[in-house]
Amino acid sequence: MEPIRVMVVDDHPVWRDGVRADLERSEGTKVVAEASDGGEAIEQVRSSMPDVVLMDLRLPTVSGVDAIRAIVEESPHVKILVLSASGEESDVLEAVKVGASGYLLKSATADEIIAGVLRVHEGEPVFTGPLAGLVLAEFRRVSTADPGEPGLTTRENEVLKLVAKGYTYREIGELLFISTKTVQNHVRNILTKLQLRKRYELMRYAIQRGLDRKE
Amino acid sequence: MDGQMYGLTGGIPLSTLASGGGGVGGLPPPAEAEPGRRGLRQGIVVFRWAALLWTAVLAAVVDLSHPALAWTALGILAVWNAGVSFRHAWDRVDVRWVDLGLSVALLLTAPAMMREGALAVSGQPFFAVAYPLATVLTWAASTGFIGGVATAALLFVPLAFSRAINGVGFDRLASSEVVDVATGGIYYLMGGGTVGLFARTIDRAAAELRSANDEAALQAERAARLQEREALSREIHDSVLQALALVRKRGRELTARSSVPGRDIGELVQVADDQERALRRLLQRRADEPPEGSVPLRTVLEAATYGIQGVPVTVTTVDPMWLRADDVGELSAAIRQALENVAQHARASMATVFAEEEDGQIVVSIRDDGVGFSYDEERMRRDGKLGLLRSMRGRIEELGGEMHLSSAPGRGTEVEFRLPGPSGPAAKATSAKATKDERS
Repeated sequence: MEPIRVMVVDDHPVWRDGVRADLERSEGTKVVAEASDGGEAIEQVRSSMPDVVLMDLRLPTVSGVDAIRAIVEESPHVKILVLSASGEESDVLEAVKVGASGYLLKSATADEIIAGVLRVHEGEPVFTGPLAGLVLAEFRRVSTADPGEPGLTTRENEVLKLVAKGYTYREIGELLFISTKTVQNHVRNILTKLQLRKRYELMRYAIQRGLDRKE
Repeated sequence: MDGQMYGLTGGIPLSTLASGGGGVGGLPPPAEAEPGRRGLRQGIVVFRWAALLWTAVLAAVVDLSHPALAWTALGILAVWNAGVSFRHAWDRVDVRWVDLGLSVALLLTAPAMMREGALAVSGQPFFAVAYPLATVLTWAASTGFIGGVATAALLFVPLAFSRAINGVGFDRLASSEVVDVATGGIYYLMGGGTVGLFARTIDRAAAELRSANDEAALQAERAARLQEREALSREIHDSVLQALALVRKRGRELTARSSVPGRDIGELVQVADDQERALRRLLQRRADEPPEGSVPLRTVLEAATYGIQGVPVTVTTVDPMWLRADDVGELSAAIRQALENVAQHARASMATVFAEEEDGQIVVSIRDDGVGFSYDEERMRRDGKLGLLRSMRGRIEELGGEMHLSSAPGRGTEVEFRLPGPSGPAAKATSAKATKDERS
């Protein structure tokens, strides 16, 4: 099987080298490009056609979130896994909303990063505990600000809470008496809901702006 | 609520745990004192058996007039000691009183079991003198210096009358006999006093350790808040203040000119526009400003995990969440106890602290993927876990909250704290309920 083509985006060369070394050690992944900035990343995706982009969010000039938005727009088949330092929670949520498939902390081990790459490549979101907390908070905010909005189902809520507590999908399946596959489906649906909401918000914003202009 | 505890054995309210074992001086001992106190208790149990054995050896040697009675008494003592030691119940108040009663009875009856006058005439040793010292030590370990000395003084009375009961009046006692009795009393006093002081020292050291821990957690929290404040002012400085300076500078330049092209003014408007939006975003984030007298729960939880070694801890909160500032100390301490227990005993690869708001309550759960345990009170008491759980539960109830525990061997452990939120009627209702449960 062809190894997964990975691109590493980070403004620190040392970090890029480290991640490259980790990924090259694994048979299943290969680093095909590196970028030190969001703008460079958008161009590199066009020329080197990676399967998965490992993306830092704090980048000079073009931010990670903007780059993700552009990459997803142009090449929807490219999967994006955010690798970010702790304390950048609001950016992380934004990145996932505009199309990233998951989020790992930079403190993650090499094995965790490789497993994350494999998972997003298969179309599975990488939902860590802290991200689950952010998503729960986001849906709570939405439901208090706008009670009419479709929120999470009770089951989705339960699944997210267990993810936030650090349970694996298999353990969650056992606790809720559902299959691991069903748990995966719930997680995927939650991510889709989040991204749909973002698109809806943008649309509403655009319409409002359009109306303002006409006045 | 049970729906939330995907309890492998279900949530067990810790109010079902047996109570008992007050600390030195009436207050419950800090959980940190538990290892030291356990060592002391175990040492005293060993001494008990040695004392009993010595009593039996002497009983076999001395001139008994009622040997059957003496051996029956020793048998009762042996059964009593075996039973209590097996249940680790020496710090229970009722057990200590019974033991004291047995010691008094032994001192009063033993002289009558020896041949009349044996204690004076043939100078035989008083075989029952050793066991009561064990009683003194047990009381001292549980009630401290004063309790130990008081027990010793009490037991000295029957000891002093032992010769009279044996038929040797005070006037007929040889001076060496008087010295013997006095020596016994002094041993009781010294034993009780020393062990009492020792027990008090253990508790004091533990209390100091605890307040040092609490202080460290508070310091860490203050540092985190300061950092947050600095980050905010840095952000304002970088964006808004810079832009204002630019607007002022350009504005001055433009007013100096006789005619100003609309494009230049447009530029200024653009800068103001951008910054207005940036500032609004900052302020919106600050709309999460804590309610009066509250602090961000996340900061508290993160501070509580500082310095936990041996297991990586992830903190996840469904923000924004607030905690009453007054509750910070107790909650941090309870979380630290839970995490330290995980780090020391659970053999877990990870631990998470997860907090969310539910029906106006703050729910904090500490979960690990370690070995877990079956809920076995005896065993937990032996492992010294009961004291720890009681201490955590005490802290949470102090805040008007509840604690739940779920675990099973090989399947990790989850401890859940439910606290009333910073405000609202739900908070009051919960604490009222907790008080009621306590009484029933």
